[in-house]
Amino acid sequence: MIRQEGVCSRHLIEVLLVIFAILCLVPFWYVITISFSDPNRVREGQVILYPKGFNLKAYNIILSEKTFFNSFLISVERTIIGSALAITVQSMFAFGLSRKKLVGRKFFRSLVIFAVLFNGGIIPTYLVVCYTHLFNTIWALVVPIAFSPWNVIILASFFQSLPSSLEESATIDGANDFQVFINIAIPLSKASLATILLFVAVGHWNSLMDAIIYINSSKLKPLQSYLVDMVMRAQMQEAFADTASQDIPTLSIQTAAIFASTLPILVVYPFVQKYFIKGVMIGAIKG
Amino acid sequence: MFGLSLAFKDFSFAKGVFGSKWVGFKNFSYLFTKHPSFYHLVWNTLCISLLKLLFYFPVPIVIALMINEIPASNPLKRWVQTMIYLPHFVSWVVFGSIFIQFLMPDTGIVNKILLMLTGKQIFFMTEVKWFRPIVIITEILKSAGWGSILYLAALSGISPELYEEATLEGASRFQKTSKITIPCISDTIITLLLLEIGKLMDVGFEQIYVLANTSVFSVGDVLSTYIYRVGVGQANYSMTTAIGFFQSCVGLVLIISTNQICKKLFDKTIW
Repeated sequence: MIRQEGVCSRHLIEVLLVIFAILCLVPFWYVITISFSDPNRVREGQVILYPKGFNLKAYNIILSEKTFFNSFLISVERTIIGSALAITVQSMFAFGLSRKKLVGRKFFRSLVIFAVLFNGGIIPTYLVVCYTHLFNTIWALVVPIAFSPWNVIILASFFQSLPSSLEESATIDGANDFQVFINIAIPLSKASLATILLFVAVGHWNSLMDAIIYINSSKLKPLQSYLVDMVMRAQMQEAFADTASQDIPTLSIQTAAIFASTLPILVVYPFVQKYFIKGVMIGAIKG
Repeated sequence: MFGLSLAFKDFSFAKGVFGSKWVGFKNFSYLFTKHPSFYHLVWNTLCISLLKLLFYFPVPIVIALMINEIPASNPLKRWVQTMIYLPHFVSWVVFGSIFIQFLMPDTGIVNKILLMLTGKQIFFMTEVKWFRPIVIITEILKSAGWGSILYLAALSGISPELYEEATLEGASRFQKTSKITIPCISDTIITLLLLEIGKLMDVGFEQIYVLANTSVFSVGDVLSTYIYRVGVGQANYSMTTAIGFFQSCVGLVLIISTNQICKKLFDKTIW
């Protein structure tokens, strides 16, 4: 009897989890369904559960659209520059923080913790960006978030856990601090650095807020703010008025744009998923 | 950080941050006594964060407990995990806009089903009473799966011997969960709860920005969207900086005081 009950509740749990997982996936399935379907059938409302009349017209339009392509490039650019800069700054800072001989280490440490708990807010940061003439340049998307106190804490505690004997023997062999950092600390912490790098990169790709605050010029808009303009503010009617709207419903084009902009993440996700999970674990244990 | 001094100044762009005149607490007293919508904004913000605390916060815990019940040998476990983590990696723009399309009248799938079942449609995105539920539901779908990871990490740290002993003594599954599992992850739960409480004044900007529109402004306008709109949009820097300062201070006070309370009650702190 008891065993019977256990099996039952286990199945119930499985069913509930599968339902939740499906709910999480429904949005993605919907986008695929609409964007790959025959636009005429989409307009007639026939497409609901699965693609009907496989068709790439919507993708043809969105990929030949210059502003979309341009935004895509901006996003790629900010992700590459931003992650490279962020990981350099954060790992160097964290390494410094993790060395016991650093003068004023306690002060710097509490400074970082303070920065986790308390920040200047949107407007002061915005004004700093204006005064440093970063406004409306790609650097506005990259520099303000290059330093993340949370990541620095995680990395610093990782560097600290490296065996100190390695550093000592390198120092005896005549290595300076920078050489210790490049030749010992970095190779030993590749995995942690990779996870932080991945998080930063995804953050850059998905970030919307800084783009709508710091970027005015339409030439510099990254993908996310392009999508906002297109999908939510319905500005696309004007943009596509001449070419598309006669024979292709906006819904098809919107979903195609959404899918195209999410594709990089969907492609990379299965391969790097385990690093993400590992990264959270590091943060959880140390934090 | 120096920019924070703006909260105490009458700022003008031409004079710069350091050149502007000090006005003491004028910006704050204006906020607390004369500002037409400050308390309304605070209320909107608090409403959303408290609802999230109430309805969103337990969900990742439940999911983690459920996943934990599935044995590792079952391939379903890995599949479910992969699927529920995915929405976390998509931007709010993408997730929110898909959701909006679902809920659209006439074309959205939810309204099609409603029309079939009840013969009526609901204008989800433009009706005030639906805004907060939508925020909570989208939050659950997007973040709850990923949020469960931390609890799963804590769960994997529980020694299996505890369970074996309990089984020997004839404990049921429910007893094992309530007497072993939950006490063992209570540290994680408390830590995350405190961090959430620290963010009460600060609801995510992007989610609200994407989901809100002019017809639900009466409930959808929160402090962060107001700061953006009035600060960046209308160049009212001093007052919005004061709001931001208020937000940060409340967050800091909340997190420190709840931490103290926890120390007294459970002898646990987050640092």
